[in-house]
Amino acid sequence: MTTPPPALEVQGLRKTYHRAFGRGGHEALRGMDLVVPAGSAFGLIGPNGAGKTTFIKSVLGIVRPTAGTVRVLGGSPEDPAIRARIGYLPERLHLPGTWKSPAFLATVARLKGLKPDAPGLLRLLERVGLSDAVDRRIGGYSKGMRQRLGLAAALLGDPALLVLDEPTDGIDPMGRLEVRRILQEEVRRGVTLFLNSHLLAETERVCDRVAILADGRVLREGRLEDLARGGARWRVRFAPGAQASALEAAGFVPVGAPASESKGAPGLLVEGAPAEGVYVVDAADVTVLNAALDRARASGALLVDLRREGADLEAVLLGAVGSPGVAA
Amino acid sequence: MNPVFVIAGYVLREAASRKFILAFMVGLTLVLATVALSLKLEVVDGALAATRLFGNVVRANIVSVDVALRPIFRAAAYLVFYGGILFGIVACSDFAPGLLSPGRIEHLLALPLQRWHLLAGTFLGVMTLAVGGTVYAAGGLTLIFGVKTGYWTVGPLIAGGLACVGFAAVYAVMLTTATLVRSAALCSAAGFVLLVGGILAGFRTDVSRYLEAGVGRASFDAVTLVLPRLSALAVGAADLASNTPLLPGSLGMLLGGVLVFGLGALAVGFWHFEGKDC
Repeated sequence: MTTPPPALEVQGLRKTYHRAFGRGGHEALRGMDLVVPAGSAFGLIGPNGAGKTTFIKSVLGIVRPTAGTVRVLGGSPEDPAIRARIGYLPERLHLPGTWKSPAFLATVARLKGLKPDAPGLLRLLERVGLSDAVDRRIGGYSKGMRQRLGLAAALLGDPALLVLDEPTDGIDPMGRLEVRRILQEEVRRGVTLFLNSHLLAETERVCDRVAILADGRVLREGRLEDLARGGARWRVRFAPGAQASALEAAGFVPVGAPASESKGAPGLLVEGAPAEGVYVVDAADVTVLNAALDRARASGALLVDLRREGADLEAVLLGAVGSPGVAA
Repeated sequence: MNPVFVIAGYVLREAASRKFILAFMVGLTLVLATVALSLKLEVVDGALAATRLFGNVVRANIVSVDVALRPIFRAAAYLVFYGGILFGIVACSDFAPGLLSPGRIEHLLALPLQRWHLLAGTFLGVMTLAVGGTVYAAGGLTLIFGVKTGYWTVGPLIAGGLACVGFAAVYAVMLTTATLVRSAALCSAAGFVLLVGGILAGFRTDVSRYLEAGVGRASFDAVTLVLPRLSALAVGAADLASNTPLLPGSLGMLLGGVLVFGLGALAVGFWHFEGKDC
């Protein structure tokens, strides 16, 4: 059995937007390397102006890269046969306002080389929650309805790769749940999902891998759980009555304690609201962890809860980009 | 289905939803209906005996019907030629910028079609619209005059065809402009400039005589040399519509020049769009 090629493989991708008459230019991508495994749900996050949309346009052949190689589904993005297997939802999809949604989808289907299938189009519209709006002109749709129609167009022809730029933009919370359900269904079906969303919670819920892009470069990339993992730190909760001094001597640091006050782990800053009996401990492996727990139990402390410390995607992003106040 | 035809259908569907174009078609229909109902031609043995428009006598001289109708067919040919091109410049100016607009072009380019399909489809759609409108207008006139006089000629239809060729060159420039700047106003402006330039080019020898010899005249001669001679084509269309004899080979040269110019303009647009970041 052969391994399928990556859904997306980019090496040394550079893109410089030149100004007219050669007056300098703006370097949007500065040598990006990225591999998106087939069948994964991949999220691209980063601050505004990081180059996310330029990256997406480059891999779809919409903008011409200045340097580097791009392979999509094992082929060139210029190849129409490859593009026929891609579903794309742009960030600001401009739809023909005087058309009705079945007519729009029928045109997109024809451009994708699909056979006419009116019942199939209606089923697709029902799937994205637009079955009640098939007789209305697209011009009368809300922003969320337009996004749903764009998603339906992207799903036409059962693509192997879905590239979605802000798919839930303008959609209400219930609609987001629906869209998330559809995306998760597609991933379970084996579709590769490439998602660019400024909603980090959305990315976190849908994607299993993420890449952080800033200033035209990939700063971090990997499985979400690996990126979010807080290294070798564990959060421990002891039953009330545990001796704080004995626990600190065993290497446990109370949550909310300033770094200067911690005796057990110099330099360890423990964020969070102070809570009775909640400590963190750094342990490189389970042997070290159990040794620390044995010392705690020897002092009479009773273990109630133990879990690995992790960071949410926002913390990962801010940690990578290093500047608060930026959006994805 | 070939993507070029699908894009052409996309353009035609957009056109059908434009109130401006629908209003034009309704107006054209009303004009044809008015002419059909109010114009009374009395033809006796192939000669025009009398003409009445809204009940008033227009002309009493008895002449053969083809000669009598010459001025009318010439006027109709000029009207179809220049009116059609002017209307086309205004009505079709935003098809290409609309299709190339942000949010739509990204979506289209991510579909399995080549970039040239988009431009070729847009061109085909607009030309289908132009040919349809011309056949409707010129065909309507041919039918009305044919029924009323018994004198049947395809002259107005051929004149309409020449108008379409002229408009093809104009729209090629507008389409190429759209690949440079996504602006309907600038596309219209480019079309108007070419129309005026094309009218001057048709009379370049006469106009050149009125210019001072030197750089100005040389520049005028150089620029108008490469422009399509639209006014000469319009004269040819009027001659054909009125069954006036043409100089041998003159129409072929004119058409060849206009087609070469149009294809050249399209080639520049295709080449530029192929390397463009959208």
